[in-house]
Amino acid sequence: MSQPSSVEEKLDHLQHHFIDSDQQFEASKLGMWIFLVTEILFFGGLFAAYIVYRAWYPELYLLASEELDVFWGTVNTFVLIGSSLTVAMAIRSAQLNQIRGLIINLWITIGLALTFMVIKYFEYVEKFEKGILPGAHYSYEGIAHEKANIFFSIYYMMTGLHGIHVLIGIGLMIWLVFKAKKKVFHSGYYTPVEITGLYWHLVDVIWIFLFPLLYLID
Amino acid sequence: MSGHHISSAKFLWGVAISLFFLTFLTVAVTWIHIPEPWNVVVAITIAAIKATIVAAFFMNLWWDSKFNVMLFLMSILFFLLLVGITLLDTLYRVDPVPSF
Repeated sequence: MSQPSSVEEKLDHLQHHFIDSDQQFEASKLGMWIFLVTEILFFGGLFAAYIVYRAWYPELYLLASEELDVFWGTVNTFVLIGSSLTVAMAIRSAQLNQIRGLIINLWITIGLALTFMVIKYFEYVEKFEKGILPGAHYSYEGIAHEKANIFFSIYYMMTGLHGIHVLIGIGLMIWLVFKAKKKVFHSGYYTPVEITGLYWHLVDVIWIFLFPLLYLID
Repeated sequence: MSGHHISSAKFLWGVAISLFFLTFLTVAVTWIHIPEPWNVVVAITIAAIKATIVAAFFMNLWWDSKFNVMLFLMSILFFLLLVGITLLDTLYRVDPVPSF
């Protein structure tokens, strides 16, 4: 008589072209790291633009960053770091077979990500009402610098692209919640949680640089 | 296996608290108005420390395969090449692009 199936290792997830779960997990993670490298270089182009223009117009950055609210920038930094913690907790729950904890941590992360986007929304609206719009649509008179629109073009491109990444992350985590509710994940297979976690932490790392570079210029 | 490190909840909270503290620190140093260019140096240094903490202990690079660490470091190296070579041009122009 064979043992009951609960004792056997669950291998539904294992694709036929991998030797075992570990090899499949490591291959997925390597693929994700290669994607993250392209993400770093993707944002890197915008950081390069930021640096070039800051070297050309240092006084513009000092003036224009006063329009950004340090308080809300700081709150959003705390919110994103908190969400990185809950993602790490979600992965830990999956590793320990605590599927309820996994789902709870994913929901908290989604909540924090939405909080970040709501704060960003109010920051954008406040600027739009003043006429601080990107590029040629810029019509705000409050900054005594002829290139003021350039700072805000860079600001909107960097925070906008980052915001799109946050929205994609929210979508991915909702997908993870559905998968977790279908009992797809367990301690032997949680690759999508791990991979999404890596993505989410990178989004956090990019904000860690955006915050001082945009908000904290004296 | 290198890919299945399980951090304790206490450890993860410790990492988050150190990140919260460094966030507070990077805001606090702007109150004392460090002169140019050191304010930028301090801000970037604190951000780099925070990014390293996230990469090492939240993204688990500390326990991960060295190849993934190399990928991450190479992306930073190539980013610095992009910035460095670009600045060799833009910093030494007599007249920056007039219409920009």
